[in-house]
Amino acid sequence: MLMWGAGMTVLVSGTAIILGMPLGLMLCFGVTSSNPWVSRFSRIYQSVWRGTPILVQLLIIYYLLPLIGLNVAPILAAIIALTLNTVAFQAEIFRGGLLAIPPGQMEAARMVGIRKWAMRYHVVVPQIFRLVIPSLVNETISILKNSSLVSVIAVTELMRVSQQIVATTYRPFEIYITAAVIYILVNFLLSLIGRTAEKRLAGGT
Amino acid sequence: MTTKPLEPIIKIRDLTKTFGTVSALSGISLDVDPSEVVCIIGPSGSGKSTLLRCIGFLEEYTSGEVQIEGRLLGYRRTASGLVRESEKNIDAVRRNVGMVFQHFNLWPHMTVLDNVTLGPRLTKRIPTGRARGQGRHALAKVGLESFADRYPSQLSGGQQQRVGIARALAMEPHVILFDEPTSALDPQLVGEVLDTMKQLASDGITMVVVTHEMGFAAQVADRVVFMDHGQIVEKGPPVSLFNAPESPRLREFLDTWRSRNMLFQNDASVTGEGEEGGARS
Repeated sequence: MLMWGAGMTVLVSGTAIILGMPLGLMLCFGVTSSNPWVSRFSRIYQSVWRGTPILVQLLIIYYLLPLIGLNVAPILAAIIALTLNTVAFQAEIFRGGLLAIPPGQMEAARMVGIRKWAMRYHVVVPQIFRLVIPSLVNETISILKNSSLVSVIAVTELMRVSQQIVATTYRPFEIYITAAVIYILVNFLLSLIGRTAEKRLAGGT
Repeated sequence: MTTKPLEPIIKIRDLTKTFGTVSALSGISLDVDPSEVVCIIGPSGSGKSTLLRCIGFLEEYTSGEVQIEGRLLGYRRTASGLVRESEKNIDAVRRNVGMVFQHFNLWPHMTVLDNVTLGPRLTKRIPTGRARGQGRHALAKVGLESFADRYPSQLSGGQQQRVGIARALAMEPHVILFDEPTSALDPQLVGEVLDTMKQLASDGITMVVVTHEMGFAAQVADRVVFMDHGQIVEKGPPVSLFNAPESPRLREFLDTWRSRNMLFQNDASVTGEGEEGGARS
């Protein structure tokens, strides 16, 4: 039962993180865009999603979607809310990476005729990723922990399952400790993966 | 058949550039002919690098004109004056202009060969195989063919700058702009980069070189341009410019440089040897 819940936790937060990467990059380019409208809109998006609690975002998404005619499963609402949230944070992480790349590298790309999007794809993004892996692992851990909040909209992830078991067994202490250990194990595994990726990508430099 | 005088590759007229209220360039006019090597010298902050960056349109200029092979760079003429051109058209005008940077600006996550071939592969739509062949050829020109599969960080500064030159060469430009190409190098590495540049000059590549290497300017330049306070103070063949400077400012600049050169005269590789040039070729 608990393992099934843990699987759901990993599925929900993992999907949000992975969907959040390309969208976060887009938002990062939006925030740093030279077009004032694009950058203003991007910044507003970022402030809204970074400035409100995940629980509030989650409940708004969950109750809003049916109102606009989208009757989606709770798990989908959870994934959407976590994705839209992590996009705002990942954009900020990517922006940090972007600023760490010497602007001369972009100028060099322009002087061999490489256009903006090709330059981002070949020159900027690969370097951003190797710079931000530690922050990205942190963000993943944070989303994984925050995903416990989606239990309130009846997604049967680790937290929800624990609550259900507690309700039938009346042994809260043992159950929640077990849940905590599972969270720690998953996060430990994550930082391990992060460190390996960091080492492998650092090979070139 | 009458021989028409060659059209200049670069034609600059009344160029000005201001940063906010600070004037960086005021009223620059200069032509660069095919196969010509023009060295731009002058004290720090005289606008040399800004001028070069305007020619590459890495810097938007404030007024005046820069033409590359007869085409206006960066702007479009309209009834109401000059209007900023689209990136696509700027790239089209700039296609035959290469640039070598003071800090090399290589892409550290790519091999040397990928650094050299990325431009041709993406902009000329050359198949990867052929681009790699051409890239190796460009690396051979700077003597680094055997370093193709290394990463930039595994190379010395001088080698990295030669890769920078190869990257520009691979685009087969009609003119290459050099922005203080040896200023970031350890003294003992300056020579190999200057030798590479001399080779290019003798191959007939048009070059505009912003430099503090007076020996190189004296030996290789067809014309030397002396800039100060955002203006061209004096220009001419190196012999007359170095031996018979007309303006007091140039005389002062050369005197300062010579007296510093005297201090280090036992260390010829550092400063070159005045008018004779510091070349060991």
